[in-house]
Amino acid sequence: MNDELIDGEQLKCCFHCGKCTSGCEVNRIDPSFQPHRLLHLIGMGALDELINGDAIWKCTTCFTCSERCPQRIAVTDIFWSLRALAFRSCPTSGLLSAQKSALFKTGRLYPATVLDHKKREKAGLPALSENATLVSRIFDAAKADR
Amino acid sequence: MNMKYALYLGCATPVKALKYEISARNVAKRLGIELVDLPEFGCCGFPVKSMDRFAALLMAARNLALAEERGLDIIGLCTGCISTLAEARVQLEDETLREKVNEKLKTLGAAEYRLGVSVKHFARFLHEDYGLDALRREIGAPLESLKFGIHYGCHYAKPSHAHDCFDDPSNPVSLDKLIQGAGAKTIDYPEKNLCCGLTIRGAAEDLSMNLAGEKLDALTNRGADAMVVACPSCCIAYENNQQLVGRKMGKEFNLPVLYFTQVIGRALGLTDEELAFEFNRIKFHPAAR
Repeated sequence: MNDELIDGEQLKCCFHCGKCTSGCEVNRIDPSFQPHRLLHLIGMGALDELINGDAIWKCTTCFTCSERCPQRIAVTDIFWSLRALAFRSCPTSGLLSAQKSALFKTGRLYPATVLDHKKREKAGLPALSENATLVSRIFDAAKADR
Repeated sequence: MNMKYALYLGCATPVKALKYEISARNVAKRLGIELVDLPEFGCCGFPVKSMDRFAALLMAARNLALAEERGLDIIGLCTGCISTLAEARVQLEDETLREKVNEKLKTLGAAEYRLGVSVKHFARFLHEDYGLDALRREIGAPLESLKFGIHYGCHYAKPSHAHDCFDDPSNPVSLDKLIQGAGAKTIDYPEKNLCCGLTIRGAAEDLSMNLAGEKLDALTNRGADAMVVACPSCCIAYENNQQLVGRKMGKEFNLPVLYFTQVIGRALGLTDEELAFEFNRIKFHPAAR
């Protein structure tokens, strides 16, 4: 484990009790999704398998696992880190590309259309400000000395 | 009490949830709470967590710094935004990290963040700061015959440390109390804490729909007059997608989905127009029941 995104020391505290998995709503519906096994795989050094697989995208980020962990491991955050690793290794991959394009083009995950602006005006709501380049500028700043 | 706050709208509410924004603004106005719009606010950082964790933190920190510069605490409507900003606030208590973040904010021409801002969802603010007793005194039209199923949304009280543990993350009650304060009954149901599933709609559509369907089914079976939500994404999952989810489950749902601000506003005596009921896709006609 040598990636700055995942805290290896925190992972070492996991004693595989499975409490994250037993409280997971996704696991209840899709038993193949097992957070404690995914943590174990990271510990085994199987990062490539994880970031190329489907499992990390099934987490709803509901935080139930993080709340339940007796070792206070931020399990949900680890899934975000795995996704960020997947994104870093292949920034053009399918799942995030629509989100990325909306964010980088408009600064918003839900861009406002001409009709949206009109609806707001009609309802007497304040005009939405344009800050289209903000997200890409922040990404550049974050990357600058990595 | 200082009743002037920065309103953090986020990107979903002002585009996908006008009924939420309009009703929240009118409830605040009616209660004498001044909500200030800061046009400089940008993305909260939530959608960026899956791409670049540090960039996400920078986005959140920049918003905190903007409110701090104006001397205003933040009130928000989207649970995802509020949770993200509140979590950043806790993370930035680490001095080394804060210095690193502030250095970057400087290169972006933004103010630095100095730990001086509180971040609360509007419902938490009403419950905790405005106060239930004060709210009850304002209720002129209690909703006595109505029964609502509350959906909190995962990020309303979780991660609990980010929200100062203000509510029980496994069995939250604050929204129930607000709605009860408005005179209505709330339903205690085992599916209460289920996720709406919207965040995995793109990656795992079946799972996502299943999650939404379970809750719609549970509340329909318990005779709820409506589901009450506090987040624009959850509303998309339950209202906009309700027919799709029903078709998938072989059921026909007809469960109105209301924002908590519409319910409280109604009990405060605000008009249908002030609460933007025209934008509700599944019409709420309690009188007909």
